[in-house]
Amino acid sequence: MDVHKEVLRVLDEVLSLGGRSASFTRATPLLGSIAELDSMAVVTLLTTLEEQLGIVVDDDLEGATFATVGSLVDFVNEQLSA
Amino acid sequence: MVYVQPFAEEMNKSRRMAALQSRALAEAGYAVLQVDLHGCGDSSGEFHEASWESWVDDVLMSARWLEASQGGPLVFWGLRTGALLASEAASRLGPDQRLLLWQPVTNGKTTLQQFLRLRAAADMGQSGGKGVVQQLRADLEAGAPVDVAGYRLAPAVALGLERARLGVTQPPGKVAWLEVSSRERAELLPGSASVVEDWRAQDVQLWPEVVNGPAFWQTQEIEDAPALLPATLAAADKLTQEATR
Repeated sequence: MDVHKEVLRVLDEVLSLGGRSASFTRATPLLGSIAELDSMAVVTLLTTLEEQLGIVVDDDLEGATFATVGSLVDFVNEQLSA
Repeated sequence: MVYVQPFAEEMNKSRRMAALQSRALAEAGYAVLQVDLHGCGDSSGEFHEASWESWVDDVLMSARWLEASQGGPLVFWGLRTGALLASEAASRLGPDQRLLLWQPVTNGKTTLQQFLRLRAAADMGQSGGKGVVQQLRADLEAGAPVDVAGYRLAPAVALGLERARLGVTQPPGKVAWLEVSSRERAELLPGSASVVEDWRAQDVQLWPEVVNGPAFWQTQEIEDAPALLPATLAAADKLTQEATR
């Protein structure tokens, strides 16, 4: 599974970005930079990643996870190998 | 057909698709009843006064009213946690019930967990999200309501939701199981596949299908899943076919 690609697909769908995620790189900032990413969207994002990628994240959420595309991809990779 | 809405914000996000589908069903000759559950939407009462049990009762009352006024066959149509309520209500009316499930939640515990996380996400910026969900759970178990994302959640709703599972009550007779996915060549979610298998083993007639579209019940903007509309019409015909001939 191409985790980077899957994360972008889920971001695009959940945040209704209409394809904007195609230009995202690992360095693209998320939390605080993408207006659509409010607390509701953070939870939906996690839920969707859990459901579609088969991971289970714990409930101690940290802002750093959602800082950039790269940090989110790394987080998902960690969960996948956990 | 009785439509059973999903939980909290998902109810608002899915209003448009539920309305589009209801109109399409009505044009095809189906009587559709959409009710707001106790304390939700336009219904009377406050959200924190509701209980899971009162919602099951609402669905049963709606079903009885619709059957009395329109005749059968009756179909329970539930979206997300609405599928849990629909299946619970149907099982109380006896075997051989018909369910039309849209992206059903198979385990209410997951939904509760995700809902409580909203508080953790909201607190993430300021005080940090650590320990928030555990504290909310402790409050609920102690009998206190908790405030999450503008909703005052009562223990009677939370604990009922947490216990609700698809596939543990008396099995229905016929089930159309529709999921929506933005992935290519998507299959049923793993949790769904296992309930489908269990039901098949108990001789439930099942029509599972995955159509392409956005997760309209939770996307940031209100979105449509057009492929779901004809798939649902076809499913409704299958569910009711025998009875109308």
